[in-house]
Amino acid sequence: MLNMKDVSKIYRTESVETHALREFSFDVDEGEFISVTGPSGSGKTTFLNIAGLLEEFSGGTYELDGCNVTNLNDRERSRLRNEKIGFIFQSFNLIPELDVFDNVDVPLRYRKFSSAERRKRIDRVIDLVGLGSRAHHLPSQLSGGQQQRVAIARALAGEPRFLLADEPTGNLDSQMAESVMELLEDINRNGTTIIMVTHEKNLAKRARRNIFMRDGCVSNNDSALHLAASSA
Amino acid sequence: MEIGPIWRAMSRNKTSYLLIAMQIAVTMAIMVNAFSIIQERSRMMARPSGVDEDNIFYLSSIGFLPEFDGRSASEEDLDALRRFPGVANAIMTNTVPLQGGGWSQGLRTEPGEEIESIGVAVYFVDEHGIDTFDVNLTQGRNFAPTEIMMFDPDANGARWPDKIIITQAMAEALFPDSPNDAIGRTVYIEDDLPITIIGVLQRMQAAWKEWSGVERAMLVPMKRKQNSFRYVIRAEPGYRDELMPQIEKMLAEKNTGRIIRGMTTMTETRERSYLEDSAMIKLLVFIVGVLTAITGLGIVGLASFSVARRSKQIGVRRALGATRPAILRYFMLENFLISSVGVVGGALLAVGLNVWMVHAFDLTPIAWYVIPTAMLILWLVGQLAVFGPARRATLVSPAVATRAV
Amino acid sequence: MISYYAKLGLLSIRQNPVLSALMVAAIATGIGACMTIVNIDYVMSGNPIPHRSSLLYHVQLDSWDPYEAAEEPNEPPDQVTYLDGTALLKAGKARRQVLSYRTGRVIQPDGDGQLPFQVSSRSTSADFFSMFDVPFLYGSAWDKAADDSAAYVVVLGREVNEQLFGGQDPVGRNVVMNGDTYRVTGVLDNWQPTPKFYDVSNQSFGEVEEVYFPLSVSIAEELSSSGNTNCWKPVPETTWQAFLNSECVWMQLWVELHGETERSDYLAYLDAYVESQKAIGRFPRPLNNRLYNVMEWMQNQEVVESDVKVLLGLAVLFLVVCLLNTIGLLLAKIMRRAGDIGLRRALGASRNAVFAQYIVEAGLIGIVGGVAGIGMTMLGLQGIRILYGEFDFIDRLVHLDWIMMSTAIILAIVSALAAALYPTWRACGIHPASQLKSL
Ligand SMILES: Nc1ncnc2c1ncn2[C@@H]1O[C@H](COP(=O)(O)OP(=O)(O)OP(=O)(O)O)[C@@H](O)[C@H]1O
Ligand SMILES: [Mg+2]
Repeated sequence: MLNMKDVSKIYRTESVETHALREFSFDVDEGEFISVTGPSGSGKTTFLNIAGLLEEFSGGTYELDGCNVTNLNDRERSRLRNEKIGFIFQSFNLIPELDVFDNVDVPLRYRKFSSAERRKRIDRVIDLVGLGSRAHHLPSQLSGGQQQRVAIARALAGEPRFLLADEPTGNLDSQMAESVMELLEDINRNGTTIIMVTHEKNLAKRARRNIFMRDGCVSNNDSALHLAASSA
Repeated sequence: MEIGPIWRAMSRNKTSYLLIAMQIAVTMAIMVNAFSIIQERSRMMARPSGVDEDNIFYLSSIGFLPEFDGRSASEEDLDALRRFPGVANAIMTNTVPLQGGGWSQGLRTEPGEEIESIGVAVYFVDEHGIDTFDVNLTQGRNFAPTEIMMFDPDANGARWPDKIIITQAMAEALFPDSPNDAIGRTVYIEDDLPITIIGVLQRMQAAWKEWSGVERAMLVPMKRKQNSFRYVIRAEPGYRDELMPQIEKMLAEKNTGRIIRGMTTMTETRERSYLEDSAMIKLLVFIVGVLTAITGLGIVGLASFSVARRSKQIGVRRALGATRPAILRYFMLENFLISSVGVVGGALLAVGLNVWMVHAFDLTPIAWYVIPTAMLILWLVGQLAVFGPARRATLVSPAVATRAV
Repeated sequence: MISYYAKLGLLSIRQNPVLSALMVAAIATGIGACMTIVNIDYVMSGNPIPHRSSLLYHVQLDSWDPYEAAEEPNEPPDQVTYLDGTALLKAGKARRQVLSYRTGRVIQPDGDGQLPFQVSSRSTSADFFSMFDVPFLYGSAWDKAADDSAAYVVVLGREVNEQLFGGQDPVGRNVVMNGDTYRVTGVLDNWQPTPKFYDVSNQSFGEVEEVYFPLSVSIAEELSSSGNTNCWKPVPETTWQAFLNSECVWMQLWVELHGETERSDYLAYLDAYVESQKAIGRFPRPLNNRLYNVMEWMQNQEVVESDVKVLLGLAVLFLVVCLLNTIGLLLAKIMRRAGDIGLRRALGASRNAVFAQYIVEAGLIGIVGGVAGIGMTMLGLQGIRILYGEFDFIDRLVHLDWIMMSTAIILAIVSALAAALYPTWRACGIHPASQLKSL
């Protein structure tokens, strides 16, 4: 349901040209939980951004859910992001002026839901991440783990088919990371496809499939083996 | 649409928004009151004087030698003036509308000093008065040449003639119940001297523009024996400017026992008379213009800061599915909310300021539509001002969500 | 350390040149607008004769119509009748008293080629000059004998003397006015009380008269006033004598009194005078005499145009808007760097250090705005001069004296501080922890 073929991404600055993705081909099936690892600068975030329609790519084709996104305009891309994709960021990216409830509400506001429907969904996801009692706290009044759970709730509120997570546990201690990981696994079990970039190998291992990136390419398709080998 | 969360987000950062709202409120208070004053002044300036302002000019003849004979000089002058090519008509009189100085008198409908009198501006004219001022006689008749009284203060004879022509406004003030049958009625001047109204003018202003009874005037058929007097001359259309120096020269040469001074057109008189009002209007327009510009630019600046400060969150919103128009709308709506607080506060402040000014300076209260108009203007200014920064906000890439620090 | 903060501040101003310029411009226009009007109000409400204003009293007697006050509510007329003016002048119960009115004369120069020209004149008595402290360039006032004998003597204004005698000392020479020959006793030096307090019935800020001669002469010459003449009672005859004996008010009476007792004594005298007049059938209204000193009289006559007061109110609000504008922008600028400030605080910068850094920036903008504001004031006054150019007195209203100059500077500093302090204070209040936590 996510098919990238020969996707490349070149960043140009005045002095250098960075090939962040080189003829990157990759397919994801419905319900997968994929972890992406690789050294810093290898193009993980770039891949995720393109997959999540946050950035345009320079060449190749990309089909999301059977729909070719190459030539979509901004409005259609925004709609796809909003309806099909949920994002979780390393630095949580909660909106500081909005409380938990309003933060989760943000993506829902860009859809035509009734306010009762929105409220129902928000309450459900906030309960799901176990923050029902903190719905009216501001981000600055929450711990990092709690903030990330709010971010997850926000990603889930629109009931997306995909969840894209860029180092969701990067800013958390191992215990918090564990609870976030468990939450993601739960979500995946309920049918949401997850692609997660991470540096932590033991978390990566828990994904059903792992890809390892190097220099903008998937370096080894059988990366689970590679992982096992390198950790051994 | 999304007023709730925008409002809640704003209320967490109150001071900044409150500062703009206050700025808008005070701007509006000034705008509304300035506009109200401008309106009042313009209305005042628009009042017609009733005379032919385009073609009338006037001058003073000041006799200074003891042997100067004002009576015969004026008879000769008027004769020469009326025959002067390009002159439509001319009279000797005491003043002209808008000039600032004049003579006023009280008229009563019953004799007796205890009866309240109604003030009226006096123009001493002869039978050419109506034609020279080019005022509109709507009822009755003009004075006949034989009805012009020759007045000599030293002779100690009658002080007033027995006929006058009054303006419609004076007729309304004298006879509030039947202002249209003034002709033939008798009124009393100087307590108990009877005088008959023989004509009614549509309009002729007194010389004092700020007088509440400015349209109450009367023509008195009298030539006063004086050594200093004023000639009012109406030129044929188009001849005024070339006539003025010719006439000044002609009069100055005709008699050396006097000097000719203060040659002025009615146009200049109107300008000078309303100089303060037109200057006030200009000042107020300037103040309001600069103020609106400052407030508008202030909003641009604040919105720019606000966009720059929130670029990360804009990226996050974009990543979460906000379209560019949605981002634009967000900032426009935010500004609309601030402006609304501002203009509502501004409306209260404007009314407060107006109540005080009405009380302290006798200004007219604001018309009801000025406040909604000012609100609309400031809303519009706010929206225009925020449009640039808001458009810049839409250019924030959604990738900022994963990249920016 | 200060130089380090100054550098940071300058850097930050340079990073946002347009916004910094906007803030400076806002403060400058605010101060400019405010000070322009404040200056005009200050000149208009100024004391025209500071060292004597509390000794000089304007006399008002309520000789008006029994059925109607001269001015509502129950104000006596603002001038006096010839009967009362001369009676009080003659009685001489005050230290000095001056009765005068404005007239017009035509001067006939004897030099060939010079045409007769009209001048404004004041008919008054000798004490006028000493009482109002009028400076003389040549000669002096006429003496009391000249008043009594109605001598044809004249004091010239400086400009008339320029015109007639080329600025030479003309004392003792003759001037012909309206066919009569007057002997010059003196020439005034530059003199222009603002407002022209001794006669505000015409133009409160108009020029003083160009020549002065004895009241007794103008009465003998039957010269009526070129100012206002108001009558409530018909003058029974049309002769000059009948006019002099009438209830028409047309002259200004001033007296000099030192101290509260002299004032109350004189007021008591006025009341007694009016009572004596009531006995012969004049003064039908209840006792209502007034003695106002110069500044009280200026207040009573509302010499400051109400337009100026309205503008003053609006100009102060204008400044408020400009300050709010600048405060808002500075605050936004600082809040945008809240993270930076929080970080500095976390890294050990003290509250004082943050204060120093931002007060330098905000203060700099305030001070530059203030200085520019003084420039704007001058510009504003020039604008007023152009706008009201037809009024010959406008030059006096737009003159910026050192008091107003320092007021402008003080206002600039206060505004600058007001604009700078709040945002800086907010910057100091930023918690070291708060900004690190979330973004
Ligand atoms: N906007 C950009 N402009 C120029 N170069 C960029 C830009 N964004 C990323 N790059 C470059 O693209 C390459 C891939 O970056 P990317 O962020 O995808 O790496 P990453 O695998 O996510 O690394 P990390 O694990 O450190 O987050 C890097 O070399 C980076 O310098
Ligand atoms: Mg990355």
